[in-house]
Amino acid sequence: MTVTLTIDGRTVTVPKGTTLWHAAKAAGVDIPIFCYHDRMPPLGACRMCLVQVEKAPKLVTSCTLEAAESMVVHTTAPEVKAAQEGILEYLLINHPLDCPICDKGGECPLQDQTFRYGPGRSRYVEVKRDFAKPVSLGRVLVLDRERCILCWRCVRFGEIIAGDDALKGFERGFQTEVNTPFTMPVESKFIGNTIAICPVGALTARTYRFVARPWDNHRVSSVCTHCGVGCAVYFDVRGNAIMRTQARESPDVNDVWLCDLGFFGHGYVAHPDRLTQPLIRREGGLTPASWDEALDLVARKIAAARPGRTALLGGARMTNEDAYVAARVFRTAVSTTHLDCRLDARPGSPSLDVPWGMTTPIADLATRDAVVLVGCDLTEEYPVLWLRLKQAVDRGASVIALTPKALEIGRAVAHHLVYRHGEGAAVVAALAEARAGRPPGADVAGVAHGRIALAAQALGKASRPLVMIGKAALEGPDGAAMLEQVGALSEALGLPLSVLRGRGNVFGAAFAGLLPDTAPGGRPLEEMRADLERVWGEALPSGRGMSAPEIVEAAAAGDLDVLYVAGADPATDLPDRSRWTAARRGAPFVVVQDAFLTETAQGADVVLPALVIPEKDGTVSNIEGRVQAIEAAVAGPGEARADWQIMSALARRMGKMVAYSGWAEIADEMRSLIPELRTEAIVPLAPRAAAPAADARRPAGAGTVRPPDGSLTLIVGEALFDRGAMSARSGAIADLAGEPWALLHPEDAARVAVADGEPVVLTSRRGSVALRARLSTAILPGQVFVPRGYDAAPVSALVDAAEAVTHVRVAGL
Amino acid sequence: MAESFLLKYVREADQGDLDAYVARGGYEGLRRALGMAPEQVIDEVEQSGLRGRGGAGFGTGRKWKFLPKDPAVTKYLVVNADEGEPGTFKDRTLLEGDPHRLLEGIAIASYAIGAHQAFIYLRREFHRARAVLERALAQAYAKRYLGQDVQGSGYGLEVVVATGAGAYIAGEETALLESLEGRRAMPRLKPPFYPAVKGLYMQPTALNNVETLCHVAWILARGAAWYREQGMPILFSVSGHVQRPGVYELPLGTPIRQVIEAAGGMRPGRAFKACFPGGSSSAILPPPYLDTPMDYDLTKVDVYGSMLGSAAVIVMDDTTCMVEVVARTVEFYREESCGKCTPCREGTVWMTQVLERILHGQGRAEDLELLNGIAKGMTGTCFCPLGESVPPAIYSTMRFFRQEYEHHIRTGSCDVKAAVHAGAAR
Repeated sequence: MTVTLTIDGRTVTVPKGTTLWHAAKAAGVDIPIFCYHDRMPPLGACRMCLVQVEKAPKLVTSCTLEAAESMVVHTTAPEVKAAQEGILEYLLINHPLDCPICDKGGECPLQDQTFRYGPGRSRYVEVKRDFAKPVSLGRVLVLDRERCILCWRCVRFGEIIAGDDALKGFERGFQTEVNTPFTMPVESKFIGNTIAICPVGALTARTYRFVARPWDNHRVSSVCTHCGVGCAVYFDVRGNAIMRTQARESPDVNDVWLCDLGFFGHGYVAHPDRLTQPLIRREGGLTPASWDEALDLVARKIAAARPGRTALLGGARMTNEDAYVAARVFRTAVSTTHLDCRLDARPGSPSLDVPWGMTTPIADLATRDAVVLVGCDLTEEYPVLWLRLKQAVDRGASVIALTPKALEIGRAVAHHLVYRHGEGAAVVAALAEARAGRPPGADVAGVAHGRIALAAQALGKASRPLVMIGKAALEGPDGAAMLEQVGALSEALGLPLSVLRGRGNVFGAAFAGLLPDTAPGGRPLEEMRADLERVWGEALPSGRGMSAPEIVEAAAAGDLDVLYVAGADPATDLPDRSRWTAARRGAPFVVVQDAFLTETAQGADVVLPALVIPEKDGTVSNIEGRVQAIEAAVAGPGEARADWQIMSALARRMGKMVAYSGWAEIADEMRSLIPELRTEAIVPLAPRAAAPAADARRPAGAGTVRPPDGSLTLIVGEALFDRGAMSARSGAIADLAGEPWALLHPEDAARVAVADGEPVVLTSRRGSVALRARLSTAILPGQVFVPRGYDAAPVSALVDAAEAVTHVRVAGL
Repeated sequence: MAESFLLKYVREADQGDLDAYVARGGYEGLRRALGMAPEQVIDEVEQSGLRGRGGAGFGTGRKWKFLPKDPAVTKYLVVNADEGEPGTFKDRTLLEGDPHRLLEGIAIASYAIGAHQAFIYLRREFHRARAVLERALAQAYAKRYLGQDVQGSGYGLEVVVATGAGAYIAGEETALLESLEGRRAMPRLKPPFYPAVKGLYMQPTALNNVETLCHVAWILARGAAWYREQGMPILFSVSGHVQRPGVYELPLGTPIRQVIEAAGGMRPGRAFKACFPGGSSSAILPPPYLDTPMDYDLTKVDVYGSMLGSAAVIVMDDTTCMVEVVARTVEFYREESCGKCTPCREGTVWMTQVLERILHGQGRAEDLELLNGIAKGMTGTCFCPLGESVPPAIYSTMRFFRQEYEHHIRTGSCDVKAAVHAGAAR
């Protein structure tokens, strides 16, 4: 159904339901507007888009009125012109007009529309409204209430897009202001978007205030690789520094949004701690060296290593091309089968048996009518996925979340089943049983049986369900049972299971071949052996490749001669910190290739300075397998090199030519091996053979483990804002993360007389960590939740990977 | 003149009491309605000619007919008891004096539209009304005039009293719904959010004024024909410079002069100068309009913004400075603007600044043109009727009392006040 109408004499045909504003746009007619944002329903508040419709008694807002057949619309009539000038005059009477020092100046809709449609002069002679300013609303957001024109975009973003109600309107009439209750720090993971959509300079970012003028910046297209969603970004660059990160429109991934880690997480790139030259351990200390010295040393050590006794760990910080060259060099020149990018898996983890990533496109999330989310803290791990899920919820979808910690999006979760850590598989099993018509007769793992039955009912009604499993489920004590149960549920619903697992470009690293026994593209190595040997011109070594946990154990056992760590920090990434200590002790020679002197690097024999994502050209892959191009925004510091260049130089020193002119040539070579490879498209990993049977060494399902004598069960989880190698060096993120913390149930806190915000010490058999207590009923009593990612207070120091469950004692300081 | 019925019992000492109400024939209308089909009830109300008494004057029966008939669709009745229009106090009189009449009207209306849940959105400041209503509700539930099975009919109705938070805008029907749902009271976009289609919690909703529902109770008790014979009485809230300000029940179409006379006429020795015929949102009318009938055709008078509105007649005598009146009126709207749309939010504050400046002797010759310009910028451009309520007072006073503005601007003082003082001194 279409309607045809006339706008300023131009005839235009648009689908029925199109608003006049959009119809005008289609006809090439610009209508000024402030309050409307095309990702939200029309509001009609600013009144800037008034137009004249013939036969209508008065002017109408074109953002709200639907185009109708034979309508005749005028957008430049004298009445419209007068209204536009009137509205702009109104908007400016209390606006400070401090454009010369306003961050928005130069890219400000108010400025632009006043220039084009404004009256030119104001009749206002009274004293302007005066607000104290600026107002700090937390670690990044700064509010200037005088500049605000009350378009309500930011408020509606929180209500409609993010669902976090972060900003609200307070007071009334001319005293109305956007704020948080009591000007408390804003609580949101998406507040950067409100800054981006603010049509004036009312909301600004502390990281960008008075930093640059928009016309001095140039925009470089890249992709955010912090979490794995792979949001398209622009880095706004001035000189050789990133001034800010902006969302780049990508309808299939992040649409026009980002999370705050994406917005404010680029500070690390220009941090003075960046490694600028190679380091070699001499007389106990790491000392600067030339690339020649360092690479020669590494090449010598690798050449001297016995067959099968060199291994590569890491890859998540690399581009796809970097990872591909790393895989090629290690499989050929180094001649090893031991390479793996999945460092944070626990030994015997079931997550080593399944491909990581989503099996449905991200955009598809919004169209599901029931989503089962098991063991994934969505807004902490993949925040932008939540924005899609919220769309599904708004359309009536039921979210069934089974997690050990209640989600902050709980308000949108219809069936929130918070289970006792280590017993989640039983809840999934009960849910599946209930779905099959056998609801549980008793509570399961702390979850009321009635709620399981209700969740099953909702799932039963769904015609387009989706099942996703995350890290908390897979790496939990009953991970194997979890995977089995969730996999079975997914299969029963006729769905491929989505595995929400992995950070950074781990998907690209896996795609490029940094997995044991796996070729680029994800096929079993043996299937591709002939092709690879042909393209690479080398015979590949045989034998089973070790997974990351196996490599670490091999190093600890003294079974490796050289351990090469690239773009990873096993000292903090491994779930059990002691395993890395043992591995480092057991490995005679450790090479680290990274951007910072991480804890792992500090203990290395050679450290090679590498570039980071914003400094690179190439491609990366995201959680749905989408390959996206990135462009280098800035040059790297000092002598730092791209990972592929380091690998290539290393190969040369080992007498093998693995040379490329640039990333494009690498990508071409990859395409010759992976015909499906296309940039800006989803390239799924080739299906692998069925997962091997559960590893015998894997700790058995924990069953109902009761912590001994008053100690608490430790749940290790994820936090979006943490203090890792990169986040601790991105000021805004480190600030948002705050001090390392532990979540205690108020009942448990009361038992040890700890109040909210007080320091506590957690002690396990393995070690102890000092943290700040947060009290919350998000977890069931008897448990304590600690996020990983705080390198200065690593929760991994408490964990013994040999135990299914870690018990800790909590004491006040 | 026919008997007064709306106010007949409001001053009885026992009027909050159910037994007294029933003894006087109360709830007969409900009983009669329950014996009819819902559509018949709506027809009867439509035949009575009743138009909404909240201010807009829309046909009550017609309004109900907009709601879908499908019994599977959840529908609500919402009573607008957020009486806030300056000069209007008739609903409070009914709430405090005849609460069962309202409850009866609610039950009849809910039955007619097929709602099983009704909300009374009561103005926060009506503490006495709230106490009276809650007692009446308890009694009505106890005697099954409300609740699961109303009078054994099988029809069930729950009535909830909710209070606002002190915002005038919450009297606007869609802002009321926002507030009732727990949000900031700001008007919704119409379309698509016509309450009859997408109202409370996005369900079809009938919104009726307190007085309207009291009329409904009488119409069902005595029949539409009887009601029409009464000359379509309505309640006038008469305030200002009259001898006996108060609520008066008079037939629709009573001339302004007679309404003032009903309220005891002007104060001794004082002459009528002007009045708001329909609350502060209407235009201000000078003496030549005294014989204009107070009915829905008031909008056809040659003064922009003239209307019956809520029939709140604010009478001003010759001691009144019209610039002060307008300044105070605009200040009210400045305080009560919700802040959603630009012209209302910014126009009211600007206008107040200019008027205050004039009153403080700082007026400029160009201010009259400026005031007119600001008012024009608000005319037909606001999101809801609140902002559109401001220009009528400006336009009408600039037309009928321009010399007062000019005197203020020219001399920095008020000639009206000066005359009053001179008179007092004599």
